[in-house]
Amino acid sequence: MSFYSILRAEYKLVYSEMIRRRSALIAMILYPYLFAGFTLFFGYTMGSAEIFSRRIGVDPVIFMITASYTVMSVLASVDDVLWRPLSDTFIGTLPYIIASPVSRLKLYLAIPIPRLTALIVMGFTSIIPVYTAYYGLEGLLSGLVVMGLITLGCLTMITLAMVIAGLVHTIGESWRVLNIVRPLVMILLGAYYPRIYMPLIGYVLSSLIPSSHIVEVIHNMLRGELSNFYILIALAIALAVLYAPGGNKSILYWEKKKVREGVKTD
Amino acid sequence: MQYFLGEAIVVEDLAKTYRVKKRIRFLKSHIEVVEALRGISFKVRYGEVVGLLGPNGAGKTTTIKILATLLLPDRGEALIDGYSVVKEPNKVRERIGIMLTVEKGFYGKLSGRENLEYFAALYGLEPRRARERINYLVKLLELDKLGADYKLFEEYSLGMKARLSLARALLRDAPVLLLDEPTLGLDPPSARKIRDLVKDLARKEGKAILYTTHNMFEAEMVCDRILLINKGTIVAEGTPEELKSRVPMLKVVNLVVRGNKKVRGLIADYNVKYEVKTEASDLHTIRVYVEKPEEILGDLLKKFVRNGYDIVSIRVEEPTLEDVFIYFSREA
Repeated sequence: MSFYSILRAEYKLVYSEMIRRRSALIAMILYPYLFAGFTLFFGYTMGSAEIFSRRIGVDPVIFMITASYTVMSVLASVDDVLWRPLSDTFIGTLPYIIASPVSRLKLYLAIPIPRLTALIVMGFTSIIPVYTAYYGLEGLLSGLVVMGLITLGCLTMITLAMVIAGLVHTIGESWRVLNIVRPLVMILLGAYYPRIYMPLIGYVLSSLIPSSHIVEVIHNMLRGELSNFYILIALAIALAVLYAPGGNKSILYWEKKKVREGVKTD
Repeated sequence: MQYFLGEAIVVEDLAKTYRVKKRIRFLKSHIEVVEALRGISFKVRYGEVVGLLGPNGAGKTTTIKILATLLLPDRGEALIDGYSVVKEPNKVRERIGIMLTVEKGFYGKLSGRENLEYFAALYGLEPRRARERINYLVKLLELDKLGADYKLFEEYSLGMKARLSLARALLRDAPVLLLDEPTLGLDPPSARKIRDLVKDLARKEGKAILYTTHNMFEAEMVCDRILLINKGTIVAEGTPEELKSRVPMLKVVNLVVRGNKKVRGLIADYNVKYEVKTEASDLHTIRVYVEKPEEILGDLLKKFVRNGYDIVSIRVEEPTLEDVFIYFSREA
């Protein structure tokens, strides 16, 4: 059973849904603008762009559009893994997936990639035009690098998402817990709230999230610093690899619990 | 547990109890114990369709779920193609095709073919093999004529959904098929198509099929052997004919006569149970319940003729599978 076949099947599933549900596609394109616009609106009404630039070291427009794009991409890949068991339960496909011999690690690694691809491509309609408008050709190149880094950030989140998914769904009433987990990940990612400004506990928890290291790389890059570039990337990848066995076990544990209780078939 | 060659499904002493939390007051609830299976045992051989027949809540779906590795039993063992459903679920999963509720279980925004392609990938079929198999199944189940290539699953009728569900069960060409009420709610042509296919799959391809239903007629049509299940216990087992012959049931003599006199007085002498229905004042339908119809039939007919009745029709009815089921359920 090849990863490629599963990935191909997931691409077909996600893109058929996306293309045939146009409202979702439009929302996906508009999301980074809406989010950035909303944050900038409140930022400008309550604070000053100069102070923000001085404290953070990046223009607020660039910072917010990058943060929105990062959060949207990372959360989409995390969401795909976290919510998939619930949507499969609701649709009624869960018994067929559990009763299939597919490798759970391969399946869950493949699940977020199709939507992630679409979101990364959306970078051409969100960060690339803004970066180019601000910095010209150099901005275009920086935008492409940022897109590449965010792709890596999203991929490194999959295994942690698997760990969380297995645990959360084992507890039960998982959708309630997921609604708490989601904003927590959003904050701890450090995209809107750089983790250097977080309290110690926040900083420690954030360091356990693989893509938070990639976010730090992006923030450093936007400030024109390239310190710890490779170290942070290596840290993110190492954490992702470290979480992989746990992620697989977590999903299998949840499945076993489901089988003990009896997978609902009606 | 013994396993012999040619046995596709071997179930021994399978038991399952559910604990259901029942709320009795606002903050008070109690645990209700429901014994879904009480130690059932049976076997299914290759090339055989075995029907698990019983009313709602009898334990049919619980049995299917355990065999499909979707539920763990509390006690007992079940082997599929020689592999334990408890200890070797992954091996079992490679050897079964399952059809559960037909209404759900597919992605609504995908066409029938796309859905099959998705599950083929999950089942580990190579793309070329998957394409060939899907083409074959789409033709076999006449899904191509119904627009399976372009119509989205959410637009399917129940009959189409059932056919697609069976196509998925057959995707891997697995030797064992577990079909849970596959014709439930279907229109007669779709139900017939499914039944015919199931019979062919066992006879021509040698598949072992466990088929649950609560439709007596269907069980009689499709199954080589029937297991009557009630309240988690198998109450009887055999071919439809064997089961009927094991019931010491009264046969029904259905006699229609025409005449103006009162018929009740003529039958009363025989000390048998009977029913009389009179239509159009002179047409009487008499149903006489008797163990050996041949003992009274000749004499009864003579009596009617002697009293000036015309015999319109006479029929001796055998007990139906439904009668058999009711009999064994009461016995249990």
